[in-house]
Amino acid sequence: MEATAIHALLQSRFGDAVLDYVDGFEKGSLVAPGRVGEIAAFLRDDPALGFESLMCLTGLDWDGYDATGKGKSVDILGYDELGRPEAFDRVGDGDLGVAYALYSHRHGHKHALFVRVPRAAPEVASTAGVWPTAAWHEREAWDLVGIRFAGHPGLKRILLDEAWEGHPLRKDYVMPGAWEGVPLDGRDYAAGKWDESGVTLPDDVKRPDAAGQPGTGNQG
Amino acid sequence: MQVMTDLFARIFGDGLSPLGLLVAGGLTMALVMALVMALCAIVFTWAERKVAGFIQSRYGPMRVGRWHGVLQPVADMVKILGKEDIVPRDADRPLFLLAPFVIFIGSLMAWAAIPFAPGFIAADLDLGLFYIFAVSSAATIGILMAGWASNNKWSLYGAARGAAQAVSYEIPLALACIPVVMVTGSLNMNDIVVAQQGGIWRWHFLHDPFLFVAFLLYFVASIAEVNRGPFDLPETESELVAGYHTEYTGMRFAFFFLAEYANLFLVSCVATAVFLGGWQPLFGPVFLPGLVFVVKAVLLVLLQMWLRWTLPRLRVDQLMHVCWKVMVPLALVCVLGAGIWMLATGQAG
Amino acid sequence: MSETATGRGWAAQDVRRELHSELLEINMGPQHPATHGVLRLLVRTDGEIVHGVTAHIGYLHRCAEKIAEGCDWRQWMVYTDRFDYLAPINMNFGYAVAVERMLGVQVPERAEHIRVICAELQRIASHLIAIGTFGLDMGAWTPLLYCFREREEILNILERLSGGRMLYNYFDIGGLRFDAYDGFERDVLAFVNIMEQKIPEYDTLLSYNKIFIERTADVGVIDAATCLAYGCTGPVLRGAGVPFDCRKDDPYSIYDRFEFDIPYGEGEQGAVGDCWDRYMVRMREMYESCRIIRQAVDALPGGPVKAEDLKKLVKVPQGSLYTRTESSKGEIGYHVFADGGSKPFRTKVRSPSFSNLHVIEKVGPGMMLSDLVATVGSLDIVLGEIDR
Repeated sequence: MEATAIHALLQSRFGDAVLDYVDGFEKGSLVAPGRVGEIAAFLRDDPALGFESLMCLTGLDWDGYDATGKGKSVDILGYDELGRPEAFDRVGDGDLGVAYALYSHRHGHKHALFVRVPRAAPEVASTAGVWPTAAWHEREAWDLVGIRFAGHPGLKRILLDEAWEGHPLRKDYVMPGAWEGVPLDGRDYAAGKWDESGVTLPDDVKRPDAAGQPGTGNQG
Repeated sequence: MQVMTDLFARIFGDGLSPLGLLVAGGLTMALVMALVMALCAIVFTWAERKVAGFIQSRYGPMRVGRWHGVLQPVADMVKILGKEDIVPRDADRPLFLLAPFVIFIGSLMAWAAIPFAPGFIAADLDLGLFYIFAVSSAATIGILMAGWASNNKWSLYGAARGAAQAVSYEIPLALACIPVVMVTGSLNMNDIVVAQQGGIWRWHFLHDPFLFVAFLLYFVASIAEVNRGPFDLPETESELVAGYHTEYTGMRFAFFFLAEYANLFLVSCVATAVFLGGWQPLFGPVFLPGLVFVVKAVLLVLLQMWLRWTLPRLRVDQLMHVCWKVMVPLALVCVLGAGIWMLATGQAG
Repeated sequence: MSETATGRGWAAQDVRRELHSELLEINMGPQHPATHGVLRLLVRTDGEIVHGVTAHIGYLHRCAEKIAEGCDWRQWMVYTDRFDYLAPINMNFGYAVAVERMLGVQVPERAEHIRVICAELQRIASHLIAIGTFGLDMGAWTPLLYCFREREEILNILERLSGGRMLYNYFDIGGLRFDAYDGFERDVLAFVNIMEQKIPEYDTLLSYNKIFIERTADVGVIDAATCLAYGCTGPVLRGAGVPFDCRKDDPYSIYDRFEFDIPYGEGEQGAVGDCWDRYMVRMREMYESCRIIRQAVDALPGGPVKAEDLKKLVKVPQGSLYTRTESSKGEIGYHVFADGGSKPFRTKVRSPSFSNLHVIEKVGPGMMLSDLVATVGSLDIVLGEIDR
């Protein structure tokens, strides 16, 4: 079945929950975030569609996306030369989104679903009830991008530690300076450059002396 | 022990009372047995690594000791002695410390009744065979102690499996020896070996088909008793890290290893004495009995090693199934069959 | 007969309550010989029977997808090596195909053939490890060494080819970094000849061994419906009887020119979709890979190995595309989002082991602890690609 036909079928069934047809390298439908669960169930159960397989579920941050196609892509933040986490004052304001890649073994056709949610309230209906594999992919999207999936059986972080703060794949994510007391940044101890503002080192961490040269055994 | 007491009698003449001779002879034999155990560990760890290597199309130890790494076990011993002795904080300390010794003692005590050569047996008991089985069961308690005291769930698993396995497989082990006892008419190890004199066709395992099957049953059950080869579930690396001896380090761990190889040699020695003619030669008069005995036992040990490196391991319920539903009935059939054979051939009486 | 607090008599549930019997919560991992990497399986057991499994992953998370947003398109290729470090070529292949499809660039014929040869060699190498470690989990120590002996040959070839034994840095967007060495075809054919003789050796030692069959047949049965629902692909899906392979059903590169079969599980020793079926699918896939390699070497043309007129700084036109290729573990997918810049906007890596591992939470309950180890081993997971 052609993607346009699939889109038309979805539109006829769900009306204005199906927002737009997406044409490009992969063809798909932009749908309303709150109705994704029902649309997914229809996609799976309708005999003409038969999408029993969710190939991939991607969470992403659309912030900084250049719609004209001349994107310079926002640089990811790292650490400055003093070893402090880089930050910028621009607050991210783009949408967050989810992309679903679907495949039907029965018919052999593919389709993509796209969902966009505002950054301030990133809530998408969960498809874990339709495709059980989505449970883990959605946990990853929550973990790395910060999209909440309503109706998910157990939405918690999957790749990062339970106590981690922040969602790394967001474009405005700032690296932490330390984690559980261990400095994470690239301090250049040998060259004597360090900036301890905002970080408490444990007492037994060696600090460089005036001659903190390699080989003196006091690299910190 | 007769050999030892005679030796002391010759050295000291009348200087030692009969009690003194007994004590001296006994102590020396005990020392010799302990040395044999230590030697087992050294020789068989090397043999195991070489056999494993060659089966796996590689060489095994090659460097330590110039020729094929013969001094590797010595290097291993030195390394293990240098390790930190860790006792987990929440472990049950007395049990934890005692467990390796219990296992070791269970093995060492059984050596008392092994007939290496005529007169060269530490304790010539009339209940020799029965004594061996009874005493080597003490190791099971050691396993349970080790697993429980480690305060580690994986050790507990290993101990539970190990205890279940050891206790279960003792039955076919002992049952398989009963036909031999019936044929010989005695539990005395010396008598059992002496009854097999006259060449290979007089050895018990070729006495009649039921005894042959009994020998195979004994061999398989002995592998399970020693937690080796296809029956090494209690200490399987891939599931339980190291089973009941996970938390042991250094010399304590070495004790477990020592006990395992000593047990291995012990069950092979028992098989040799009971089924394979003990120190009786293949044919002809008795010649170098000690050597003959050891060679036979070593061949059985090598066979066990061969099996370990070839076969995958059985799951615990399959292990139990094999024991209770296959081996025990078969062993009982062997007992019955051997008895009927004896009646039929007129040996009973 | 005494009565319990509820006054109902000595019923079974009351006995259990009186005995304070609870499930034992036991941790397999993160350091554990059988979990094939840093994986933590929280297992709730009642004696030997597993009542629940929860997989905790993320110990090997290296934020590769975040790093992608700071690298060029070409630069990120080396990060793909680090996903499935037992089959890096397949990871590279997937990413290269994904980007090349969006670029619309034509990869030269010679590069395509060498790519296929490398990918199939890598598939054999990966399956050798899968088989060897699976045998090791079952307690068969020896097949692992034999498998590594053959894998050594593959690694030697790939080392002569690319300079690396494990992480190759050989594939590039638009072709390869440099051409194959003289004698590459001779080495590859020599290896394939050896390999086809060794596979029966593994069969004799492991596949049809009675104990091995007892441990793996009818164990860890994952039926086709569960596989599809949980997104299992590769030998897991094929072991369940579904003959789906990206090389045939969603072809990429030049795979549509080669003749090869897709082995799938038929329940030869037990139920369809048991551990033995998955294991056998991998064994037979090694044969098929040898077939493909022979055909590819026969057809290997001369010519360049880099696409012409592809700038050093690649800029992929705006859009998104999900591309999947067949890795040894299953379907490796790259969902690539580009906005015309020189760096990826978002690359999501859909790793086969991620979904394959998920299924253990479904099939785990009800089996014995040893069977759990067998099933996890038969899924053939690599934590590098699960955690990325």
